[in-house]
Amino acid sequence: MILIRIALRNLRSHWFKGLIVGGLLSLGSALLVVGLSLLGTIDKSMSKSVVGSVSGNLQVYAKDAKDKLSLFAGMTEGTEFGHIDDFPKVRKTLEAVAGVRAVVPMGTDVAMVYGGNVLDVKLEELRAAEKAKDAAKSKIVRAHVRRMVGLLATDLDRISELRTADNQSDETKKAIADVKRAGSDGFWKEFDADPFAALEFLENKVAPLGLNADMIWFRYIGTDLDRFRAHFELFEVVDGTVVPKGQRGFLFNKLTYEETVKHRTARRFDKMRDRLAEGFSIEGDEDLKQWKKLNKDQIREITYQLDDRTEPLVHTFLLNHLKQTKGTTDALLAQFMEVTDDNFASRYKAFYDGIAPHLMLYSIKVGDVMTIKGFTSSGYPTSVNVKVYGTFRFKSLDKSMMAGGMNLMDLMTYRDLYGYLTADRKEELARLQANTGVKPPERDKAEAELFADAGDEVEEIKPSGEAIAAPSAATDLAGAATQTGGFDEFAKVDMKASAKTYGEDLFSRVYAQGDIDGGVVRNAAVLFQPGVDDRAVQAAVAKAAEGAKLGVQVMDWREASGMVGQFLFVIYAVLAGSLFIIFFTAMVIINNSTVLATMERTREIGALRAIGAQRSYVRKMFLVEAAVSAVLFGALGSALGALVVAWLNGHGIAAFNDVFVFLFAGPRLHPTLSPAYVVIALVVVTVVTVLSTLYPAWLATRVTPLQAMQDAE
Amino acid sequence: MTTAFAQTETPIVKLVGVDKDYHLGSVIVPALRDVSLSIAAGEFTVIAGPSGSGKTTLLNLIGCVDVATRGDVVIDGADTRQLKEKALTDLRLRSLGFIFQSFNLVGVLDAFDNVEFPLLLQGKLNKVERRDRVMGLLQQVGIEQYAHHRPGELSGGQRQRVAIARALVTQPRIVLADEPTANLDSKTGTAILELMQELNRRGTTFLFSTHDPRVVSRAGRVIRLVDGQIADLNASAEDVAALAAGAH
Ligand SMILES: Nc1ncnc2c1ncn2[C@@H]1O[C@H](COP(=O)(O)OP(=O)(O)O)[C@@H](O)[C@H]1O
Ligand SMILES: [Mg+2]
Repeated sequence: MILIRIALRNLRSHWFKGLIVGGLLSLGSALLVVGLSLLGTIDKSMSKSVVGSVSGNLQVYAKDAKDKLSLFAGMTEGTEFGHIDDFPKVRKTLEAVAGVRAVVPMGTDVAMVYGGNVLDVKLEELRAAEKAKDAAKSKIVRAHVRRMVGLLATDLDRISELRTADNQSDETKKAIADVKRAGSDGFWKEFDADPFAALEFLENKVAPLGLNADMIWFRYIGTDLDRFRAHFELFEVVDGTVVPKGQRGFLFNKLTYEETVKHRTARRFDKMRDRLAEGFSIEGDEDLKQWKKLNKDQIREITYQLDDRTEPLVHTFLLNHLKQTKGTTDALLAQFMEVTDDNFASRYKAFYDGIAPHLMLYSIKVGDVMTIKGFTSSGYPTSVNVKVYGTFRFKSLDKSMMAGGMNLMDLMTYRDLYGYLTADRKEELARLQANTGVKPPERDKAEAELFADAGDEVEEIKPSGEAIAAPSAATDLAGAATQTGGFDEFAKVDMKASAKTYGEDLFSRVYAQGDIDGGVVRNAAVLFQPGVDDRAVQAAVAKAAEGAKLGVQVMDWREASGMVGQFLFVIYAVLAGSLFIIFFTAMVIINNSTVLATMERTREIGALRAIGAQRSYVRKMFLVEAAVSAVLFGALGSALGALVVAWLNGHGIAAFNDVFVFLFAGPRLHPTLSPAYVVIALVVVTVVTVLSTLYPAWLATRVTPLQAMQDAE
Repeated sequence: MTTAFAQTETPIVKLVGVDKDYHLGSVIVPALRDVSLSIAAGEFTVIAGPSGSGKTTLLNLIGCVDVATRGDVVIDGADTRQLKEKALTDLRLRSLGFIFQSFNLVGVLDAFDNVEFPLLLQGKLNKVERRDRVMGLLQQVGIEQYAHHRPGELSGGQRQRVAIARALVTQPRIVLADEPTANLDSKTGTAILELMQELNRRGTTFLFSTHDPRVVSRAGRVIRLVDGQIADLNASAEDVAALAAGAH
């Protein structure tokens, strides 16, 4: 009591020291409260993001996995997460654990699809027109193809000019010759005679040289789409529909779709609009300048897609919009792309009103079937066709590439892509075998080899997607089936023929839950019921998994999210760093000033010792003083911090980029205060203050009563 | 002047053959030489002697804030040489009262709190008892109206009164004071001395040092110290005054 009184009065009489030390302590505790609130809220929001979009509360995966499961693993990290062989058992066991809502099977990987080779698309159209004997359509498309081949020839010439003849590989020379041939009048005369032979030549020799075939890489989760939709709360369809129950299908993440599938010029226009909306100016921003330049330089992206019908339309539109009377489409487009801060809004609108309608705005459309290329578990390339049913988003995460980069695929297609012999695939193999009389390896053996390291035999027997460079844009289901094939060199079977009927069948086939669950999955998400104690349920799940010998390991969403978790760690580190600096400074100052105070108070301390105060009492006096100032300034700082948090809660903190959108589970973070943070702040401040008073307190205990006896100087 | 009370059998302070050496580097400064004395309850004793004669040193030994180089110092029946630091502190708290030359009050506490402090250290009395004791003493030393003034708000004489009250509050066997009037003007000094005499009459044993002959004249008993040695164990005040007058 008396010590507290002495402490308080000492604080008051040493107000200047109190101001500095108190300021630091208050700052420290305010920072602690704000920082912990931020972290706590981010942890919560991140958990919402991660749990509700991709990971669930827990992830389980093979115990003997070579790599540690990481859902957001970069393409460079190891992704050998092993396999859960008996998923039905895992599901049954874990769903029986109290607090578990659902177990959703998964497989996460990276794959690629070609997008945007207009030549391919036009050739498809041409083939369809010829088949349908639609002469008018054929004429228009033919002209467009010829025009594209012409442009391609120009481009190739330009490239070959850069190299000397010696340097040119046979391949290059041959490619140039092929394109030249495709551009010649003679070729197009022959076309009339045998359109399909000519098409074959164009498809196989010329189309692959098409320069603007984008390789679109994307990350996907192969999953039980019905259960995913039911249990991942943030999931929401944007365009199209969900994949019908039990069927194969693909859903693009809206963000991936916009960022990678959309026409490049349009995409750049969108990005420029967003950036300008943030208050940047074109001349003052490198990105904006770059996008503008690219749009000017890549006019080919537009002209390539224009045909005899649409080109005049765009030309007229440009003349009107730019208030010109003459000029080529190229020249007018170049002028059109010369955007400024002032005219951007009107150019943007004009682009979408007058130009975009004549373009293939998305190289893969909802309803298309596309050929996804990936790598099997054993690392050799595979491809699989799948219908795109629509796009989806994770609610409030639409701006975040972290979640926005995750696309969804049914488990069956995933297994095909990943190289598991599914029932379908086995059927397909059997069919091939029947058609050709080639004896395939025993199924069991084939599967075993696939799981180990695919032998040559297996690889050859697999329907190869290698020959498919064809994109799937603008194709319907039947058209897609045509692409299913490719050409299996070994089986000598034209898969296009066999897959045609089979493919249609495949896409409309409805799988039973048993089929979906029955195959191999790589990992599984465990989702909890709302309001349960996460730790307890996690422990129960781990115990159940152990008890049933499921051969799986359990990790929580934080761990599973891998590098995302590290972002949180970075924020932690920054906070810890600043706190360290503040508290270290405070410690030094407290220590120094208290040492000074000890010396100043030598006589007083000596007197107290003389009249009977023990050393321990003197120590206590200093420590109580430290604690009092800690609690006082800690409380003051915490109150300040609480005010800041309240303010931040009201205003929200804007996410700087997509990573933060993900961390914040939305575009703004509204941090909330927890009493625990105040307690932590007070404890930390008290510990820091007391620690820094230990030495001066010890010094004070060394003061002897004799020092009080000496005459005052 | 005679002592107010008869001497008890066991003296409160008993020194036998005490030497005290100070070490200044390698030089040994003998401050006290073969000092033997005893002080009984109720006495009002003054240690007199010129500056540097060893008065402070002697008081420090008796006050248990320093230890003798040789000889026995027995305070309130306890042989201080046998006691550890902690026990010595306890002994000071229990049996001794100190009045410091420069008062040494706790600056941030008011008069009441300063006086109450030793009681809190002892922890024997409850709040009401402490209040009564402290207020009673403040009244005795005549500054009850300043109970809630801080030392900084008091004059030197008032501060010394607070210091006296603090020294008396635990009802110690003996109150020690090293030149208690040195930092006071002569009028205030006289008043303080009168106060101590008054308190002595009421039963408190005092031992203080001084080299001021006017102070010596008020002592019940005078121990004369010269060059660290006892010159006279019971000089009369008149002797001392005469000596002092002669010296001047
Ligand atoms: N701490 C010390 N170290 C060395 N010598 C000391 C110390 N204190 C006192 N002395 C010496 O001891 C002698 C007695 O001093 P002191 O007891 O202070 O005398 P007084 O109080 O009568 O003036 C003096 O010669 C003094 O110089
Ligand atoms: Mg002295």
